[in-house]
Amino acid sequence: MNQTVVSYFSQLLGNTPSWALTFGIFFLAAFIIANIAMAIGGLGTYAERKISADLQARLGPNRVGPYGILQFIADAVKMLMKEDISPRGADKFLFYFSPFLALFGVFATLAVLPVSSGFTLTHLNVGVFYLIAISSLIGVSVFLGGYASNSKWSMLGGMRGASQIISYEIPVTISILAVVLLAGGMGFNTIVESQKGFTGWYVFHNPFTFIGFFVYFIASLAEANRAPFDLPEAESELVSGFHTEYTGMRFAFFALAEYVEVFVLCGIGATMFLGGYQVPFGLGGDGLLGQVLQLGAFFTKTFALYYVVIWCRWTFPRLRADQLMTVCWKYLTPIALFNLVGCAVWMVCFDGQSVWELIFH
Amino acid sequence: MFVSFLFYLSSALTLAGALGVLFTRNIMYACISLLCSLIGVAGLYVTLGADLVAVTQTMVYVGGVVILMLFAVMLTGGKDFKSRMQVMFNYPDAMGNKWTYGVGIAAALVFLAYSAQLIWKIIQSATKPEVETFKSTVEDIGISLISEHVLAFEISSVLLLGALMGAAIIARPKKIITDGEDS
Repeated sequence: MNQTVVSYFSQLLGNTPSWALTFGIFFLAAFIIANIAMAIGGLGTYAERKISADLQARLGPNRVGPYGILQFIADAVKMLMKEDISPRGADKFLFYFSPFLALFGVFATLAVLPVSSGFTLTHLNVGVFYLIAISSLIGVSVFLGGYASNSKWSMLGGMRGASQIISYEIPVTISILAVVLLAGGMGFNTIVESQKGFTGWYVFHNPFTFIGFFVYFIASLAEANRAPFDLPEAESELVSGFHTEYTGMRFAFFALAEYVEVFVLCGIGATMFLGGYQVPFGLGGDGLLGQVLQLGAFFTKTFALYYVVIWCRWTFPRLRADQLMTVCWKYLTPIALFNLVGCAVWMVCFDGQSVWELIFH
Repeated sequence: MFVSFLFYLSSALTLAGALGVLFTRNIMYACISLLCSLIGVAGLYVTLGADLVAVTQTMVYVGGVVILMLFAVMLTGGKDFKSRMQVMFNYPDAMGNKWTYGVGIAAALVFLAYSAQLIWKIIQSATKPEVETFKSTVEDIGISLISEHVLAFEISSVLLLGALMGAAIIARPKKIITDGEDS
């Protein structure tokens, strides 16, 4: 059981399967994962509304289904029924293309998201690097969405979005790099397997990774265009930013991509710094039960971070554009670089031991 | 079988993207075609077993270069010409003169001769390759980068630092000194 979906099916199919069969099986696996991610994204919108209602002493959606939990399905149906409008001066092809590019960029990252040691689609040896690389497609889609709408608000939103996403990629990447340095590998399985037990979590490994976790979290908020960094869709300045002109399901694709991206980024945060799918004391073993427990551990940590993301959104006021760039280039990037060097020095000085190991051994 | 299927798919994407860059008149579409082409090249690298190169390709070109191109196109603007004749009419210099055409044709002929020779050699010596078990290249590349090729690695880091500092100096607002007045 201790292997990924892709390697399991590859072994099952043997050496020379027909390409159609292979394609069919992998398509099915990817389809299931994509649908689960869609459901998580949909429930994300529900969670957002419910938590914001809670913070503002309101009730939130409570009519559709128990506690209003089916609200996102009702919303999806409503979105599908709406008219699909494109502005007269819009670049039709790019206008229709960019929501799919956003979804493509988000769903491609799910291939390496380590939900458990067995239910992950694949363990790439360059997993982290792949994830950072492919998620930059979202920046392209935000930019194209803004450009193709042929509206000033969309254009400004798209410009802001693209510049923000490529700027904040740098602190995210550097703080992830510190963890890669400690784990000695870019594969997610290597990183998770090296964080045994609560004291093995990289967030508590040394002071530098402790700071690095917060740098990663803040920068990932900005990368997913979440408040307090949601300048691309700042409604008080830009109507609705890059998706001003989008209606119906195309708007929903952008929204869904955003919520799934937040989920992915929280999952990466949990994997990198909070032990990922490690179950306490290795409960459940290597069998199916262990896998289910690992899923539980991963999703608990990820949704805890997801809650904090939503909490931040409804607590902090939005930054100005110049403050945004100041935070990135004058604070987060130098701190992240300092952390990277600090981690390297720590590795050399203390032979890669964590604080706990130094105190208790 | 599946790998060769993916290889053909990636090749088709690469070629389609490249042809799109050549034949579209809208520069934005050219950028997007380039994006497709570069993703296809990354796919080719994957099917040839070079995982790190593939991901680096995606990282550098999709995440950096294409976004930079989109920015450049958008900030400089540009007119949407309906035909090549219109471009020629509006910007006669942009279409080149005798000198540039001559150099272009000569370069094209040299390139054609060289690539024909190369392709002919490949066709002659082509055998169907054995499908090896996939092996990650990350560790090998990492070790050889800091042992055999450490000089090139360090020099390229100096080059990048120089580029970064140059960009910072260019982007820096110029202070205009006036006598006692705010400009």
